[in-house]
Amino acid sequence: MIWHIVTREFFDHLNSLRFALATLILAALMVTNAVVHLRRHPEQVRKYSERVNTVRNAVKSRTQLYLLLQKGPGDFRKRPPSLAFIADGGEALLPGQIGSGGSWTKTTGPGNSLKSVWWMGYPYLNLRAMSSLRPTATKIDWVFIITYLLSFLPILFTFDALSGEREQGTLRLCLANPISRHALLLGKFIGALLAVLIPFYFAVLLNLAIISTDTWTQLDTAAWGRLGLIVLIASCYAGIFIAVGLIVSAATRESRLTLILLLLIWVTMVVFMPSTLGTLAAKWMAPVQTQNQFNKAKEAALDQVNEPLKQMRERLEKQLLSRYSLSNLPKMPRAAAQALVEAESAKVVDADLPMLAALVRKDVEVRERSNREHLAAQSAQVQRARAITRFSPAATVQYALESMAGTGFNRHLHFLDSVRLHIRQFRDFIEERERADAASLHLIGIPQGMSEKPVPPQAIPIFEDKVTFRDTLNTAMGDILLLVLLLGGCLLGAFLVFVRSEV
Amino acid sequence: MLRTLIRQELLVHLMSARFFAAVVITVLLVVANTFVLLGAYEERLANHSQREAVMRGKIADAPTYSSLRLAVARPPNPLSLFSAGLDTRFGSAVDIFHTQVPSLLRVGAPLSSKNPYLNLFSHIDLVFLFQVVLSLLALLFAYDTIAGDSEAGTLRLVLSHPVGRGAVLFAKYLAAMVCLLLPLLMSLLLVLIQCTLAPSLQLGPAEFLRIGGIVVTTVVYLSAFYLIGLLISTTTRRAATSLILCMFVWVVLVLVYPNWSRFAIDPIGDTNARRTSAYQQIDQIREEAEREERRFLANSPLTGKPPWFNIDFPESRRMFWRGGADQLIGKLRNTADPLVPHLQQYHAFMNQMHIRLAEKEGLVRQQMVAETELRRARWDERLMKLSPASLYSFATAAWAGTDVDGIVDYLRATRRYRRTYITYLQDKEAFASRQWFATNDGPVAWSDLPPFRFRPAAVGVYAQRALPELLVLCLINLGVFMGTFLIFVKMEV
Repeated sequence: MIWHIVTREFFDHLNSLRFALATLILAALMVTNAVVHLRRHPEQVRKYSERVNTVRNAVKSRTQLYLLLQKGPGDFRKRPPSLAFIADGGEALLPGQIGSGGSWTKTTGPGNSLKSVWWMGYPYLNLRAMSSLRPTATKIDWVFIITYLLSFLPILFTFDALSGEREQGTLRLCLANPISRHALLLGKFIGALLAVLIPFYFAVLLNLAIISTDTWTQLDTAAWGRLGLIVLIASCYAGIFIAVGLIVSAATRESRLTLILLLLIWVTMVVFMPSTLGTLAAKWMAPVQTQNQFNKAKEAALDQVNEPLKQMRERLEKQLLSRYSLSNLPKMPRAAAQALVEAESAKVVDADLPMLAALVRKDVEVRERSNREHLAAQSAQVQRARAITRFSPAATVQYALESMAGTGFNRHLHFLDSVRLHIRQFRDFIEERERADAASLHLIGIPQGMSEKPVPPQAIPIFEDKVTFRDTLNTAMGDILLLVLLLGGCLLGAFLVFVRSEV
Repeated sequence: MLRTLIRQELLVHLMSARFFAAVVITVLLVVANTFVLLGAYEERLANHSQREAVMRGKIADAPTYSSLRLAVARPPNPLSLFSAGLDTRFGSAVDIFHTQVPSLLRVGAPLSSKNPYLNLFSHIDLVFLFQVVLSLLALLFAYDTIAGDSEAGTLRLVLSHPVGRGAVLFAKYLAAMVCLLLPLLMSLLLVLIQCTLAPSLQLGPAEFLRIGGIVVTTVVYLSAFYLIGLLISTTTRRAATSLILCMFVWVVLVLVYPNWSRFAIDPIGDTNARRTSAYQQIDQIREEAEREERRFLANSPLTGKPPWFNIDFPESRRMFWRGGADQLIGKLRNTADPLVPHLQQYHAFMNQMHIRLAEKEGLVRQQMVAETELRRARWDERLMKLSPASLYSFATAAWAGTDVDGIVDYLRATRRYRRTYITYLQDKEAFASRQWFATNDGPVAWSDLPPFRFRPAAVGVYAQRALPELLVLCLINLGVFMGTFLIFVKMEV
C-alpha cells in the first residue's frame, strides 16, 4: 500500500510544472558551475605546481646545515582543492600560503653581528580580496545550489501535500482506506523526496560529466567517495526540509497559509540565520587582542629574550674601555685600532656563543608561540561563532560540504597544522644531522656552531600539502550526525503532528 | 464603487493569516538585524576614531617637514546601516604625499573588526532584507489576485456590476500595496527608534532625506514585484500554477540571476596588457625624474650621494621612500656650512619636480583604473541590473553613498586634500627651508595644518545617481501594469 502511495505521489509530482522548472534551474546552475570551474581551475593548478617546484629546488640547493636553518623550509602553499567547485568556503580571503616571518641582524660587538634564523610567519588574511570595487555576489558552487534550492524546492513540493488535500477533501477519502496515517505520511515523504532528488541527481551527473572532461581535475577514488558522501548529505538536507514542510502542512488548515509560513521559515533559516547569527554571536564572545595589542605584547616578550645580549654588549663595552683607554687608542692608526678592538670583542663573543645560539632559538620560539596563541584565540572565536550558526541547517550543510570538499576554515586549520608538523620534522632533521657530526660544536642557531658537512639534497624533507579522506571525514562527521539527527527529529515531529491533526 | 472594491480587498488582506505572519516576520527580522548592524557600526566608528587619534599623534611627532607621513581615513557612513555596499568592505585609509596622487589602487585595508577572521561570515544590511523578504511577500500577495478569484468564480460576480475592468485591477493593486506598505513602514519606524536610541549614530536632515529616497525606492521595487505577480496571475488559469510560476520567477530574479551574472560572466576579460602599458608609462616618468635630477646635480656644487651628500650630519635618519621623496630627519653639525643652502635648493627643486611628475603619473594611473577596475565594476553592475532586485540594491547604494561613486567621491576629496597640503607647504616655503630635513631650528609646528574632512555630497547629487535605476524600476512598473491591464481586458471570465 505504501508503495502505491509513493508511486502515485511521485507521478503526480513528475507531471507537474514545478518538476520541470526545478529540473531546468538545477541543471542550468550546475552546468554554469562546471563550466566556470573548468575555466579557472587549470590555471590555479599550473601556478601551484610551478611555485611548489621553485620552492623545492631552492630548498634542495641548500646543502649547508646552517643555510638550511636560516633559509628555512621555504614557502608553504595550499594545494588548490580538486573539489573546489563544491564549496568555495571563502578561499579568496583565507591565506593561501605561509612563508617566513622576516629576519633581523643585531650587532653583538664591533665587526660582529648575529643573524636570525627562519621562523614561520603570521598567516595574514587576504583582506585585499574583499576590497574590490566589483559588486559582491555569492559564488555559484554546490553549496549555493544545495543550501538555497534543495531547501526551497522541498517547500514547493510539500506545502500542499496535506493541507491542500485536506482542503479538497481527498485526504479524508484516502484515510478511509485501510491505511495507517504514518504509512500515508511516509509515502508522501518518499514521493516528494524522490521528486526533489531526481532533478538534483540529474544536474549533479551533468555537472560531473562536464568536470571529468578536464584533465587538470583529477578525481581519484577518494574524491569519488567524498562526492558520494556529499550527495548523501545533500539528500539528507532536502529530506529535512520535506519533513518541515509536512509538519507545517499537517498543522495548518489552508495551503496558502502553509506556504507563507514555510517561506518565512525558509527565509529566516536559510537566508538570514547563517550570516546574522555569526555576527551576533561574535558580539558576546570574549574579545581577542587587537593587532596593536598583540604586537606590543610580542615586543615585550622579545625584549626579555634580548636581555642577555644587551648585558653582553654592556660588558664588552666596559671591558674595551678599561683595556684601551681613550687616550691610548687615537695614537694608533685607525685600521690597526679597529682590528685590535674587533679581535678583542671576538674573544668575548666566542665565550658567549652558547648564549647567542640559545637566544636565536628562543627568539624563534617566542615569535612562533605568540603567533600561534593569537591565531588560536581568533580561530576559537570563529569556531564558536560557527557552532552557533549551526542552528540553521543551511550553515551545517555548508560546513559539512566545505569539510568534505577540502576547502574553507577547517581546511585552513588543517593546513596550518600540517605546516607546523613539517616545520617540526624539518628542525628535527637538522638536529639529527647536527648530532651525527662529532666535529661540530652543536650550537644550533649560529654559523660557527654548526656542522659544515654537506647535506645530501635527497635527504632534506620536502613539504607536500595533502588532504586524506580521513581528514575530511573527521571534521565533517559532527555536522553529518547533526543533520541526520535533525532529519530524524523532523520526521518524528511530522508524525506526531499528523497523527493528532483532524482531517 | 471603486471605494467599495478597495475596502473589500483591504479587509480580505488585513484579516488574513498571511498578513499577520508577514508583519511579524518582517518586524522581527528587521529589529534583530538593526541590532547587529548598529553594533557593527559602533565598532567601526570606535576603530575609526582610534585610528584618527593615532594619525594625529603621528603629525605632532614629525620633527621635520619631510618626515610627516600624512594619512587620512574615511569615516564609516551612517547610512551603511541600510545599504552596506562598498562602505564596509572597501579600504578607507589613504596616504597623502605631495609626491603621489591618491589612487583607487592605493587605498589601504578595510576597517575590520578586531578579529579579521570574522569576515568569513557575510554581513547583511536592511536593504538586502527588504529585497528578499518584501519581494517574496509581494508575490505571495499577488499570485491569486486574478487567478484565485476567477477559479472561485467571484471575479465573474464582481464584473457583473457596472464597474470597469481597469478599476477592478486598480483597486486590487492599491489595496495590496497598502497592505504591503504596512509591514515596511512599521519596521522602518522601529529602525528609526533604534537609531535614535543609539548615541553614536547621528542623522541630520540630509540623511533623513536620503533615507526617504531609500524608502521611495523600496516602495517602487515592491510595487514592481507585486505587478509581476499580478501579470503572472492574469496569464494563468489556476492559482496553483500561478503560485509555482511566481516562486520560480522570484528565485531566478532575486537569488539566482544576480549571483549567476557576477559568477559566470567576466565582461572585460584580461586587463593585464592595459596595466603593463600603464606601468611602462610610469617607468618612463620616473626615468625622466632621474634625468632631471642628474642635470640639476651637474650644475650644483654638492658632492657625494643624496640625500645627505657630503654634508656632516652626525645623527641622521632616512625613513622610507615614496614616489621619489625621502623622509629625512637630520641634525647639522655646522649650520654655517656653505653647502647647506645648496642642499636646500636641491630639495626645493626635487620636490617641485616630483609634485609635477606625480600629477602626470596620477593621470596615467587614474586612466588605467578607469579602464580596468572601474570599467569592470560598472559592467558587472550593468549586467546585474537586468534583474529588478539588483536595480533596487544599486539604487539604494546610490542613495546611501556606498556605491562606486561614493568611493570615487572620497578619493576626489583626498586628492583635494593633497592640494591643500601642498599649498600649505608652499605657503610655509617648506620645500626650500632647512626645516625640510634638519631639526636645528627646532621641530615643525604643525598646529595650523588644515585637517581633513570628508563631507557627504548634497542630497541632489545622490538623487541624481539613483535616478536612472529608479526610473527603470518605474518603467518596469508601468510596462507590467499596462501589460496586465491589456491581458485582463481581453481575458474571458
